[in-house]
Amino acid sequence: MTTNREELIVEFKEHLIKYLNLLDLAPADIQNDVPLFGEELGLDSIDSVELIVLLDREYGIKIKNPTEGRQILVDVNTIVDYIIANRTK
Amino acid sequence: MYIKDLYAISPQKTHDGSFENGDWLILNEYIYKAIEPSYQDIIPNAQLRRMGKAVRMGIGVSLPLLERNAKPDGIIFGTANGGLEDCIKFLNQIVEYNEGTLTPTNFVQSTPNALAGQVALLSENMGYNMTHVNGSLAFESALLDASLFFDEHKEEEKSILLGAVEEISDYNYNIDRLGERFKQELISNNELLNSKTNGSYCGEGSTQFYISNNPENSLAKFTAFKQSSYLSQNEIGGFVSDFLKEQNLTISDIDCLLLGKNGDVSTDSWYQEVEQLFGEKPKVYFKKSVGEYRTVSAFASYLAVQILNGKAQHLIENGASAQPHTILIYNHFDAIRHSLILIQK
Amino acid sequence: MAEIVVTGMGAISSIGLTIAENLYSLKHEISGIQKAKHFKSHYSDSLVFGEIDQSDESLLQELGLEKGLGFTRTTLIAIKAFREAITNAQLSLEDLASTRTAFISSSTVGGMCYTDDLYHDANMQGKPSEYVKNYEGSDHALQIVRLYGMKGITDVVNTACSSSANAIALGARLLETGKVDRVIAGGSDCLAKFTVNGFNSLRILSEEPCKPFDTNREGLSLGEAAAYVVLERKADVSDTKKIQAVFSGFGICNDAFHPSATSDDARGPRMAMELALKRADLKPEDIQYINAHGTGTPNNDLTESFAFSTLFKTVPPFSSTKSYVGHTLAAAGVLEAIYSILSIQNQEVYPSLRVEEPISDFPFQPTLKYTPEVAIQHVLSNSFGFGGNCTSLIFSACI
Repeated sequence: MTTNREELIVEFKEHLIKYLNLLDLAPADIQNDVPLFGEELGLDSIDSVELIVLLDREYGIKIKNPTEGRQILVDVNTIVDYIIANRTK
Repeated sequence: MYIKDLYAISPQKTHDGSFENGDWLILNEYIYKAIEPSYQDIIPNAQLRRMGKAVRMGIGVSLPLLERNAKPDGIIFGTANGGLEDCIKFLNQIVEYNEGTLTPTNFVQSTPNALAGQVALLSENMGYNMTHVNGSLAFESALLDASLFFDEHKEEEKSILLGAVEEISDYNYNIDRLGERFKQELISNNELLNSKTNGSYCGEGSTQFYISNNPENSLAKFTAFKQSSYLSQNEIGGFVSDFLKEQNLTISDIDCLLLGKNGDVSTDSWYQEVEQLFGEKPKVYFKKSVGEYRTVSAFASYLAVQILNGKAQHLIENGASAQPHTILIYNHFDAIRHSLILIQK
Repeated sequence: MAEIVVTGMGAISSIGLTIAENLYSLKHEISGIQKAKHFKSHYSDSLVFGEIDQSDESLLQELGLEKGLGFTRTTLIAIKAFREAITNAQLSLEDLASTRTAFISSSTVGGMCYTDDLYHDANMQGKPSEYVKNYEGSDHALQIVRLYGMKGITDVVNTACSSSANAIALGARLLETGKVDRVIAGGSDCLAKFTVNGFNSLRILSEEPCKPFDTNREGLSLGEAAAYVVLERKADVSDTKKIQAVFSGFGICNDAFHPSATSDDARGPRMAMELALKRADLKPEDIQYINAHGTGTPNNDLTESFAFSTLFKTVPPFSSTKSYVGHTLAAAGVLEAIYSILSIQNQEVYPSLRVEEPISDFPFQPTLKYTPEVAIQHVLSNSFGFGGNCTSLIFSACI
């Protein structure tokens, strides 16, 4: 289990790319403070559900509904902070 | 219904046009996989990342056709199974994660109407939009739908994007193999019709046509088509001759036959029945090119249009005649569902 | 163009195994959405479903079919509703076998309703299951074609949740263009792990029975149903046969916005309704009742209401009968068409059940109680599906 925040960020971005099948993006291409659902990455509502699945499968975090998800799934920083505070695996 | 333009992704090199210009691939596989072009220039990455093979191949054919033609008034597709790979991926998730938290993309992509929906979305087309899933008659159903559309709009010029798609996934291959639809032994596509065993080889692809009710600059036309299910072998001759009669044609009017013979000894006799009816005619056995799949009659139609325009002559067996003008396609699946398509210059 | 009429109806749903039973439940506000008895899933206990209260075994027995021949639940309920429809329309076996008879069906889950058998076969885990040749979306229709020796045009469409509405429209077009003389059109979808998990993965299933057009709606409830109508040209119908309703028009288009959500400006739904009115040669004010798509998801009910607000000066009474039966997917269009026809025949509106706080974004609200003695000449029935497929149908009283 990755505990170092920097390493966790890279690991999370790798999962992000895999789960959302973000073709030709590398972890370094995704800025930590850029909104995931803004213009930059162009993610949408289906991606937000894919992200909830990612958090469940990789970190044992259960987010019940997308409304709750919206507070957490802002950018890489907010998600990684949430993972650190709530992960069960 | 006049065919203005067409394009196909198939197990032969149709994606770059070399197949109809004489190229021939010898296929020595159980699965005849489609040769896909690089999609990077055709499909935006944001969409491409979600697409399963069926949707990807379909969009890969649609977008080039839409780019070189005016916006169609409708989008009509036929597919027996749609995005089966996504479908079974989702199914596997259901079982393996015991119905836990599952990813929705596979589910959304697996619905057979995902392709027609995506084409509408990417080309901002709010027009008539339909997906037929009538098994091995799905393309014929799409043809019927298109013909109704033109019947209803006789007064104005209208156009339709009409097509079919079928993909092979390991899973549907497994299912059809268990269902004994595919051969256990391996022979090349050149030898396919000499086989003495049951089953055939599995193909895939997407074939699409840009069709219009305006004959100007058309490559060919879909003149007529007919479907039936559960015909007995003695009924097939009558099925064909009734169809010709309805079209005021006789045997001698047919210049070339395209037959769906697939090397399955248990059902190829139906094709022989039809061949006997026509005697010595130029013939094309189109499944030697692309294998067996449920919307393969769309590919046969593609070949017919090419042949009518002086291309793909290397596929014609039994002697090339003078430039053919009228082509009849006969296809069946499992000897259960039968179809005839008449295409003329 | 030739006038198209409905001469027969058949339906099986969670609120009744026949048309008569469905009507009884509609009139008495009896919902079929509850804990499942027959459907086995991880969610059987935590979610509620509009389940048909008849087991596969009992259906097989009632229909006189042998076990082990690949009859899936989708097929069994389809056969049952098909039988009722053809009997109701007095179609003979000769009629059914005629090349002038078309059969247009629809399904989304189709033959893939037994998820575990499919998993077994797709991953080649041993001997093929009973259903190895029955997984196609069109399998249920092919079985009916075989059982009744049908020789005419057959088709199966899948435009997700608008499927059977499109089957009806396609049937009418075959009649209008003279391609056939009678059409049996409809659809069938049974509960399956595949669809339950699919909708669950999109987070649009409600834990409680759905409450379409309620401010606090939380999503849809899934249901199962099969229903068919028989369509004929009015001019061909003999005097001894009862005409159930007139099929006045339809509108079909694509929202071209998102794979699984409706556009904010509801351009697709609005266009479908406009096209239907145009084809029926009617104005918005001619509609006395709308059987809404009304799934109970936040997105649908808001956008559909918005579409009403832009199309109608005064929005007529509307309701979602999905509050009775849940969302029956491919079967929803035809089932709601039949409910619309029952509304016309009985001059009454079946309400949106369980609405406590009507959606507050608009100055109109759904019909909340069973309302008899409403003069209804024309009904609009909406069906919108994933992939942007939007279809509206209009049925009218037969004068």
